[in-house]
Amino acid sequence: MPSQISVSHLSKFYEVHQKEPGFLGSLRAFFRRRYQTVRAVDDISFEIGEGEVVGFLGPNGAGKTTTLKVLSGLLYPTSGDITVCGFRSFDRQNEFLRQITLVMGQKNQLIWDLPALESFEVNRAIYEIPRGDYQAVLKELTDLLELEPVLGKQVRKLSLGERMKCELAAALLHRPRVLFLDEPTIGLDVTMQARVREFLAEYNRRHGATILLTSHYMADVVALCKRIFVIDRGHLVYDGELDALVERVSPFKYVRIVTQRPLDAASLARFGEVRSVDSFEATLIVPRDRTSAVAAQLFQSFPIEDVTIEDPDVEEIIGRIFTEKILSQ
Amino acid sequence: MRKYWNLLAIYYRSSLLVQMEYRANFWSSLAISVMWPVWHVAAIAVFFYHRPTLGGWSFNEVLLVVGLFDVFAGIMELILVPNVRQVVDHIQKGTLDFVLLKPADSQFLATTTACSPLRVLDIVLGFGFIAAGLYRLGRVPTVSEFLTFSLMLPTGFVIIYSMWLLLTTLAFWWVRVDNFTELFYSFYEAGRFPISVYTGWVRFVLTFVVPIAFLTTFPAATLLGRLSLGYVAGAMFMAAGLLYASNRFWKYAIRFYSSASS
Repeated sequence: MPSQISVSHLSKFYEVHQKEPGFLGSLRAFFRRRYQTVRAVDDISFEIGEGEVVGFLGPNGAGKTTTLKVLSGLLYPTSGDITVCGFRSFDRQNEFLRQITLVMGQKNQLIWDLPALESFEVNRAIYEIPRGDYQAVLKELTDLLELEPVLGKQVRKLSLGERMKCELAAALLHRPRVLFLDEPTIGLDVTMQARVREFLAEYNRRHGATILLTSHYMADVVALCKRIFVIDRGHLVYDGELDALVERVSPFKYVRIVTQRPLDAASLARFGEVRSVDSFEATLIVPRDRTSAVAAQLFQSFPIEDVTIEDPDVEEIIGRIFTEKILSQ
Repeated sequence: MRKYWNLLAIYYRSSLLVQMEYRANFWSSLAISVMWPVWHVAAIAVFFYHRPTLGGWSFNEVLLVVGLFDVFAGIMELILVPNVRQVVDHIQKGTLDFVLLKPADSQFLATTTACSPLRVLDIVLGFGFIAAGLYRLGRVPTVSEFLTFSLMLPTGFVIIYSMWLLLTTLAFWWVRVDNFTELFYSFYEAGRFPISVYTGWVRFVLTFVVPIAFLTTFPAATLLGRLSLGYVAGAMFMAAGLLYASNRFWKYAIRFYSSASS
């Protein structure tokens, strides 16, 4: 598969000035600025093929957003080569910009005081979308995102979720082939998050669009992305399938049993690490490859009523990656 | 090119729509727009109570200068001030992102698309003063004078647009530069009088460093048949140079855009 996004040895450093707290700190910083280099992105390389949906995971300040901004041509890279759709991002040629979009959950492009339709009209003119195509795309987006009732209301009067849906529509009117999404579901309630997620999956299916997405909600990533990047303090520490990561970081499963007679930790210890025990119910932590064997042994040793085998919560696993520095170099 | 005219029409239309969203603001803007020019003429009239000429110009002649002063003040309020505010805002909040993402010239989108449409009245009144001055003088400009004049106006606009843009572009490094425009304004106030009022280095500065003479005195002199073509050529040369410089500077400065906030 030819790669649509190709990044090699990308770095982006910032100079920021330091300010100590308090008035004196400000005064000092006013007269003598001390600068410090922040390595937001430090030597990252990857390739993404057409139509792939890739999730970007990492704690706050890891460099996810910076990477997306460099890829979409907003920030000038300190070093490295980036090609998106065959163009060098920072040249920001019109042909390149027509094929990409960047949606930021934290920033709005819609005109605050006017209905979203007015902003759409502006984008139609900038992207020079022919009338007919525009009507067709608008209709499709209106149906998929259920925008009908909100299009005529001033943007300032919309709820956060409604506004986000309009932002998405505004960013997709020109039917981009590559979508960079930075926290597209932030601040939305669970139902709305699910709706946006479905929409993105559907958009990817219909148009074969490539999507690179960051999110703080694991559910977004689990639902949409087969492949994920894990980035920590500017370094790309993992690039691969989500399932493989889960196995690598957490080679265990939870075996939960319910029995007819009370249980105690001591008698369970030989089957695996006991996570919790509560009279008739217990959960054991068992290595992945031994789960079925252990379950069979449990059946022989206890009057079992029910057994369930579960994967640990992905959110928890990802949390462990960062707190325990499992992937750090 | 057509795309850009089309875009301006769309943007200015939405600016007008935004203004009409807030009715009280609409009417007060309208009032301010009429007040200022009237006040400018009144102030000049006071001068002429005490003396017959100002720097060799009669009241009716100075009326042309004041008219041009209001025309350009109107243009600044109509287009330049809102755009400087827009650029500084974009840089401070990181929303320049959306400008840079669009397949159109970023300088055009960031520095021409905002406007306060009601200030168009200043411009209308300014032209009214020019017409009044000529009428009272009983002077009808020749065709070539009139053509030169209508060439000087866009030239003057390009000069101040480029100067403002050069200053505004510094926002990529210093972020808050709105005050620079106030600084420019305080120089611009000097343009209410014909340049001959000033002497020595002040006159030099107002002609070549902050070329306000090109906005008010010289176009007025054109209509009065007093300007040599050398000045016109000089003005156009200056405008072209400044526009080129401001465009290069903008392109260079974008590299330092840091896209505030995520």
